[in-house]
Amino acid sequence: MSRKDHGMRKRIMPAEHAEGRGRSGPTLRRPAAVPYGQARQLRDGGEPSAVLLNRAFRADRLAAVVVWGAAGLVAGVFAWLLAAVAFQGAARLSLAFLTTPPADAGRSGGIGPILVSTLLILGVAMVSSVAVGAPAAVFLAEFSHAGTRSGRWVRRSLDVLAGMPSIVFGLFGNALFCKLLGLRFSILAGGLTLACMVLPLFIRLAEEGLRAVPTEYRQAAAALSLSPTTTLFRILLPAALPALAAGLVLGIGRALAETAALVFTSGYVDRMPESLHDSGRALSVHIYDLSMNVSGGDGGACASALVLIGLLLALNGGTAWLTTHWRRKTYRV
Amino acid sequence: MNPSPLIQAEGLRISYGGRLALRDVTFGVAAGRITALVGPSGCGKTSFLNCLNRLTDLIPGCRVEGSLRLDETDLLDPRLDLLAHRRRVGMIFQRPNPFPISIRANLDLPLREHGCAREERPLRIEACLRDVGLWEEVRDRLDAPALALSGGQQQRLCFARALSLQPEVLLLDEPCSALDPLSTGVIEELILRLRGRYTLVVVTHNLAQARRLADAAALFWLRDGAGCLVEHGPASHVFDAPREPETRDYLRGYRG
Repeated sequence: MSRKDHGMRKRIMPAEHAEGRGRSGPTLRRPAAVPYGQARQLRDGGEPSAVLLNRAFRADRLAAVVVWGAAGLVAGVFAWLLAAVAFQGAARLSLAFLTTPPADAGRSGGIGPILVSTLLILGVAMVSSVAVGAPAAVFLAEFSHAGTRSGRWVRRSLDVLAGMPSIVFGLFGNALFCKLLGLRFSILAGGLTLACMVLPLFIRLAEEGLRAVPTEYRQAAAALSLSPTTTLFRILLPAALPALAAGLVLGIGRALAETAALVFTSGYVDRMPESLHDSGRALSVHIYDLSMNVSGGDGGACASALVLIGLLLALNGGTAWLTTHWRRKTYRV
Repeated sequence: MNPSPLIQAEGLRISYGGRLALRDVTFGVAAGRITALVGPSGCGKTSFLNCLNRLTDLIPGCRVEGSLRLDETDLLDPRLDLLAHRRRVGMIFQRPNPFPISIRANLDLPLREHGCAREERPLRIEACLRDVGLWEEVRDRLDAPALALSGGQQQRLCFARALSLQPEVLLLDEPCSALDPLSTGVIEELILRLRGRYTLVVVTHNLAQARRLADAAALFWLRDGAGCLVEHGPASHVFDAPREPETRDYLRGYRG
């Protein structure tokens, strides 16, 4: 009934299909597990159902091959990508690479200042998008019913924003934050621009998460005359926490991958930033610069890409750990 | 028997988005008794129940007209203090709905919300759990998640949670329909124990249960696409000597 159930059913469906349970039903299951040749013998035995069984078995087998093949292809592409990047970049990777500044336009040296800038930009983006996005999601999920005009307009504009190319955000951020608000090329301007870009995605995912919290909890809370604030902070938000975290992780992923929006806003100065008002070069910008503008920069680009992938995995893992930790803490009280 | 009922509905009409769901209900609920609301699905029993603690406010497009009073309080007054009112009127739902937190926190949260002192809360929690016969079963695992309890235990936890706020009226919306016969028996005993201390209004589809529990009964029916009240009175009259043909048919298991 709840959205959660629905998601789970979806998730187990391919497995069911692969085993042929979805198609053949319980009575046909055992023969379907018999190897192909033996199933044929069954048919020779003259049992009328054996022919049918054999056909169902073949269809199952085909479905299994298609499903497994598709999954294998996806895994294979990912492995290939990782191997290609690692092959070219691993040689450059070391602790010194992570801490020293780049030299000779990035052909040698490390990525220390770039890593710091990246984390600062990411921090600004995440803090501001959670600060704005979480209340917005609460508004959409709890205080605007699906039909009301205000909710509909906010939702529609978010969907448009979510599909906007990032370069448009770059131009917008440059015009608003860098020029109008006088932040110039700075980490702050870059982070805020990224926040604008991540917000639509984060808000919609957080809203979905809040909506998926069973209505029974809201009814129970109302019947116990818990105030809306208590209901929200003690029951709804903890229950929606995994969805909020998932939204945040997707947002982080999008922000880390961003190049176009940052070139116009946080700039590409590769010095160590002294404050949020300094310009800073993000990892993705660094990779773009090395592979496009610097001849002989491919090794550095691949090593930086490896660091970027590692950073992404670490942030994902960290968020997942924090979520379980916080949940366990809140649920015990 | 009881001249002035605790809850009195006069010409109560409920509609959802302009569609009439329950028409012109006039009837009273006596204090300290168990009143059973019976009738086929979709005839407005739960809607009526939800009016009593204004849970109807949560449903967009729901409109309630007529008059509904609890003691001297006008329950349909838009300025009614809902938080205070819902403390007076507790509710148990069809499906057990403990919060996805620990057993202790399920009881602690409403108590703290309503200003119960920190030292007093553990005592109140224990008293409520004893009241519903759950204390011996959970005393060693108060910090276990409430959702790890069995369905019957969860429902009793919901009873304890509702009782912890010391309400006057307890609304029960098919409290046993999601439970097995044994748990149902335990809940029924509990309901009978609460008789006298609380005013109970029970919606049920189980006629045998209504006979076992109720002091008074009301039969709701569906006429021209909207629910209405067909017959009400002491349980013995309604169940053993029904006046209306619908009641007779319903009690014998015929469709109207």
